[in-house]
Amino acid sequence: MSLLEVTDLGKNFGGLRAVFGLSFNLKANEILGLIGPNGAGKTTAFNLMAGFIPPSSGEVRLEGRNIVGLKPHSIVKRGIARTFQVVKPFRKLSVLENVTLAAFLHHPRRAEATAEARRILGLLDLTDKAEGAASDLTLAQQKRLEIARCLATRPKILFLDEPMGGLNATEVEAACDLVLRLRSEGIAVILVEHHMRAIMRISDRVLVLHHGVPIADGKPEAVVRDPDVVRAYLGEGKA
Amino acid sequence: MPKFALPGLLVAVFIAAPLLSTHSFVHHLLIMVLFSTLLGLSWNLLGGFAGQVSFGHSAFLGVGAYTTLLFYLKLGLSPWLGLVAGGALAMVVAVPIGLICFRLRGPYFSLATLAVAEIIRLVALNWEELTAGPQGLIITHLPALSLFGQTVNWESKLPFYYLIALLALLGMGLTHLVARSRLGAYLLAVREDLESAEAVGIDTVLTRVLALALSAMLVGLAGGFYGLYFRYIDPDAVFSVALSVEMVFIAVVGGIATTAGPIVGAIVLVSISETFRSQFQSGHLIFYGLFMMLVIRYLPDGIWGRVRLALKQVRER
Repeated sequence: MSLLEVTDLGKNFGGLRAVFGLSFNLKANEILGLIGPNGAGKTTAFNLMAGFIPPSSGEVRLEGRNIVGLKPHSIVKRGIARTFQVVKPFRKLSVLENVTLAAFLHHPRRAEATAEARRILGLLDLTDKAEGAASDLTLAQQKRLEIARCLATRPKILFLDEPMGGLNATEVEAACDLVLRLRSEGIAVILVEHHMRAIMRISDRVLVLHHGVPIADGKPEAVVRDPDVVRAYLGEGKA
Repeated sequence: MPKFALPGLLVAVFIAAPLLSTHSFVHHLLIMVLFSTLLGLSWNLLGGFAGQVSFGHSAFLGVGAYTTLLFYLKLGLSPWLGLVAGGALAMVVAVPIGLICFRLRGPYFSLATLAVAEIIRLVALNWEELTAGPQGLIITHLPALSLFGQTVNWESKLPFYYLIALLALLGMGLTHLVARSRLGAYLLAVREDLESAEAVGIDTVLTRVLALALSAMLVGLAGGFYGLYFRYIDPDAVFSVALSVEMVFIAVVGGIATTAGPIVGAIVLVSISETFRSQFQSGHLIFYGLFMMLVIRYLPDGIWGRVRLALKQVRER
């Protein structure tokens, strides 16, 4: 059984078909790259699977159980955590408080939640920023903070929405290493990303969305040579 | 400082305060300060900590007031029991309202609270068999009761003072507990960003409903007190928008999302309103409004919020 099974997921916004017929499986310990041109429906797909937007059709099964219709917080409890494309830390709270809030999910007592949050900040190299305000972090650090918050909820699957957007080359390298490290700790990852070199390097599989419809699913090297994919990115006549 | 020093000091001050004067007007002012404190504390739990701005809190105050008085007038039950029932019923009424209104965000929630309060006022106005409608309810005499072994002398203001002091302490204690608990942390998360709060596993509807229920309980108790103290209530008095707005002012002037803010706000606002009222027969509300504008412009964190910030800066230096 796959960890996550998505079947025929779809969403219409009025007349606009944002996602249509999206089906795929995610195995435990897999890193799946979700790519596609701007407006292809990648973030919408995240929002549908994580419960932030109700889908118009389709099923999302986590460990065999349908999670469509659940609120985001109960999906988090079941083991799917997500980051936001435009980072959304609790800006006025400290870095430590940000992660503590997430750690409360499994540690109702404040002392334990805080200890867990400190442990996770250590893993993500944010210990020396713990007492500062979240809004004072660099973008790369804020993206790490979002991942730290996710980890504090003990996810089985992480949805990362452009974790490398806006980062410099060194920071992208570090982010790639981080994703690989998370996988080695037993977390499956779905990664929406435009940074193709990063996608090629760390994804086990790549799924391509175009106008809300999946057009390719396979090994990264195979997918980038797929004529449909090339056409989607470069336009007609270039393939 | 030992852990119980501050609360102990507070209790001592509350006990001693009315003994410094035998003037019944002074006692009345002290009662109004603590009554306002309780209103501010109640609004602050929801509006300050959770950032859910309610303009309809008089709805719960009215429910508390009517419950307390009806329990006594119609069923002959002790006002003590009625007071507790008023707080409980305000809480019960708040839960479905929360479940409906918390589907709305920001200004839409605030407008919904305004509408709900108006609906409840109209129900109270028109359900004459229960509430006596616009005539209101009046208590001609309060029953013989004993408190701490002493027969309560209702003609004195002191029993009312100690009653409201007890309720205000309860409100402060509750606020303090909430602020330190997981619920308090969740409320701040909800105030900061609803989506992020959901994303870290917080049930944002349940969290807000809990805050509303606790808040409604406090203001329901305040309503019960109001009914017993003034001995007369009618729908326009207890369900008024002015009263709802007053609660916002107390919390904002004092400092939102703080435990001590509401008492600071209550002291300042009751003093100002009484001073202007005695100086200017009519139009004293103009000065009150002017003062509010100055506070919002220059002290958006409130008076206590500002003091706390200053103390923190001094400590870090």
